[in-house]
Amino acid sequence: MAEFFLRAERLTKIYPDGTVALREVDLTVHPGEILGLLGENGAGKTTLTKILSGLLPPTSGRLLTPKGPIRFHSPKDALALGIGMVHQHFALVDTFTAVENVALGLGKLSFSELRARLKKLMEDTGLHVPLDVPVEKLAVGERQRVEILKILMREVRLLILDEPTSVLTPVETAELFKFLRNLRDRGTAVIFITHKLKEALAITDRIVVLRRGRVAGEAKTSEVSASELARLMVGAEVGLSRRALELSWEGIEREEEGTACQGEPSLVVENLRVRSDTGGLAVRGVSFAVYPGEIFGIAGVEGNGQTELVEAICGLRRPESGEIRLLGRNVTGLPPTALYRRGLAHIPEDRWKYGLILSFTVAENSILGRQRENAFQRAGFLRAWAMRAHAAKLVEKFGIQTAGISAPTKSLSGGNQQKLIAARELSKEPQVIVAAQPTRGLDIGAAQFIRDLLRQLRKEGRAVLLVSADLDEVLALSDRVAFMYEGTIVGEARPAELTPEKIGLLMGGVKVGSE
Amino acid sequence: MRRIGVGLRPLLESVLAGLIGLGVGAIIMRAWGYNPWPAYMALFKESFGSGYGLANALANATPLILTALTFAVGARAGLFIIGAEGMMYMGAMAAVAASFFRLPSGWHALFALLGAALAGMVWGLIPAVLKAYRGVHEVISTIMFNWLAHFFAFYLVANVLVDPIRAEKTISVAKTSRLPILFRGTDLSFGIAVAVGLAFLFYLLLWHTVAGYEIRAAGANPHAARYGGVSPRRTVLLVFILGGMAAGLAGAVETMGRPPTYAVYSGLTNIAGFGFDGIGVAMIGRIHPLGIIPAAIFYGGLQAGARLMQMEAKVPFEMVRAVQGAIVLALALPELARLFRVFVRRARFQEKKT
Repeated sequence: MAEFFLRAERLTKIYPDGTVALREVDLTVHPGEILGLLGENGAGKTTLTKILSGLLPPTSGRLLTPKGPIRFHSPKDALALGIGMVHQHFALVDTFTAVENVALGLGKLSFSELRARLKKLMEDTGLHVPLDVPVEKLAVGERQRVEILKILMREVRLLILDEPTSVLTPVETAELFKFLRNLRDRGTAVIFITHKLKEALAITDRIVVLRRGRVAGEAKTSEVSASELARLMVGAEVGLSRRALELSWEGIEREEEGTACQGEPSLVVENLRVRSDTGGLAVRGVSFAVYPGEIFGIAGVEGNGQTELVEAICGLRRPESGEIRLLGRNVTGLPPTALYRRGLAHIPEDRWKYGLILSFTVAENSILGRQRENAFQRAGFLRAWAMRAHAAKLVEKFGIQTAGISAPTKSLSGGNQQKLIAARELSKEPQVIVAAQPTRGLDIGAAQFIRDLLRQLRKEGRAVLLVSADLDEVLALSDRVAFMYEGTIVGEARPAELTPEKIGLLMGGVKVGSE
Repeated sequence: MRRIGVGLRPLLESVLAGLIGLGVGAIIMRAWGYNPWPAYMALFKESFGSGYGLANALANATPLILTALTFAVGARAGLFIIGAEGMMYMGAMAAVAASFFRLPSGWHALFALLGAALAGMVWGLIPAVLKAYRGVHEVISTIMFNWLAHFFAFYLVANVLVDPIRAEKTISVAKTSRLPILFRGTDLSFGIAVAVGLAFLFYLLLWHTVAGYEIRAAGANPHAARYGGVSPRRTVLLVFILGGMAAGLAGAVETMGRPPTYAVYSGLTNIAGFGFDGIGVAMIGRIHPLGIIPAAIFYGGLQAGARLMQMEAKVPFEMVRAVQGAIVLALALPELARLFRVFVRRARFQEKKT
């Protein structure tokens, strides 16, 4: 393959705060090829693609086209060359329809012309979306299609996708893969960023593995095994057991089961209905019970009401109707602090929003929610010494990597921030723990730590409600798992009873077996 | 350094910003044909070169510390309180009105100070309640309340508190209610102790009490604060009460501690503007109660030095203001940039709530 489309030479990126995101990375992109970019969180995948798509300038190194070196001053320059990127977080105007979103930035075209071209593009690519519905009403998979169509309208020759499958159902993922192969066969280059080995092996032609900002290895997909890739990804780092390494590609191993459904349930949710921010019913009559000594999982594609359900249970959102009972008492509508005093802890889905105050120190964050307790205040004055001792204890017990308890929390890595939240929430000695997407965005080591923690809690006889979009995680950890679809629970089962087909159907909203 | 909540970095930033401001000021003067060096010498000689000048700089700083505290405590909670001006008018009116009573010396001053603090507080509570219970944006409401206070004070000065002998001013504050002058021949009164003392109290409150923890939490991340049991309503009310107190006291020290007249002139000419200048001072001081003290002294010194800069360096008054503006702007910019980001984030937060 002598002919290449774009080549990066010795790219180095150092952020203003001194973080070295990329060190002398070489990368070649060929037309008609799906290139997998594989790596853990913080490996530099996103930084690299941001440079390729003109969002960031490299600190040193250069980009080459067959016609010679080129410099991008903005994403526009990259687009002019035919390089488009679909970000993990979509850049869509929620209140606009698909057509309006595509029209943004295209200029010139009339709507009727645009619509005609868009329809043709949908026919060609098989990516179908409703054109005249505001984007906010579309499912996540459909929004992603809008985003892709938006970029394809600009006749791209290199399509970059940043973790595109993290929000998709298995069916949607399969459709996306079909589309990508189709695109490749017509000569377009694709860069597919992922940290899921199975996906990388399934869809790509060639894989480049990044680790800590360097290219750790490169291989043809047909000539490489999952275990080789996993080794490249994680490296021979100290402290990461071989087991953690295996977990990254064999799914998460199951351990012994908890003692499900014994005694009085710790958390009971009955016929709960909750509205979303936009006013629609996001949760439409959900009922379940979580018993002490078990992990109850809620699986399902994101955006099917899980967020609203968790917020209602944790006192952050007032339910429309229904009842929540905590340790036998009705707690519907109580604020978070009242719930915590009654034995509930919450590891929130959005840790930057609800979990932490980033500008606060580690010590200050370690008592958030407990600042009015006598342990931490006397006559309205903070007991700084008690707060710092508490924080130091948590840092030690949970192995939180920090420059010190007086360091601002934003200086911690994502994994350590999550550990800090978990440490604080568990220091409340809760009987019921609600963990929402607890390992999202964490590296393997930190994710494993959190998972072990949840198992430990089960062993101690506490009730754990685990809500996660990571199917492997839910299936591996849970004693019972329920599937949420469009605000209702469409099925509940023990993970051992589930077959891939069943799971697929449940995720897609088809009730199984119960009828 | 970190323990008192001021890192070394902001200090360096401020010094650098100050130097940039001086540089820009020098360029402005040079461009219009004035010699910047003697001008700056005159500026700083007047305010920081002599005991007399320093005392006047401190006297100028006194109300500024207090109004800056109003803005700072609000900004720490994520609120943009523009209302120190109006609260200060109300405080000044209360301080003058206190002279209708007869009390022993000392007690009278204390009574007047408390009255002024209360007046500022009550005036601040109205926008606070509007914000907490009806969601009225505090920038809008406090600006409107500045005008209400302005004309209300206008009315009081001309009709109720008016001096029967000299109609251009209010009655002078009773001798028993005046703040003692610390250095004979200067304007520096005991008010500086009130201002600095309150700054220390605010610092203690913000960094060493639960209420302060919650105020800062609400300002830094309203979502997480709410999850942590911080009531947004309680925070808003508390912050306005504290801010109103500080601004009310600013009005008091400016009347009870300002020789020779110890009064408010019609048109409020001798007290107008301190509330707005306090916003700039708060930003120069990095909205930190202790940072505000040197910031206000510096700002007060610039004002005190303006006269000599005109006389000795023959720089016209307009040019002096332009140069001072460049310096103040440069000093305020780092904090302004930070606050702007907070402001944008909060706007997004509210958008999501509705």
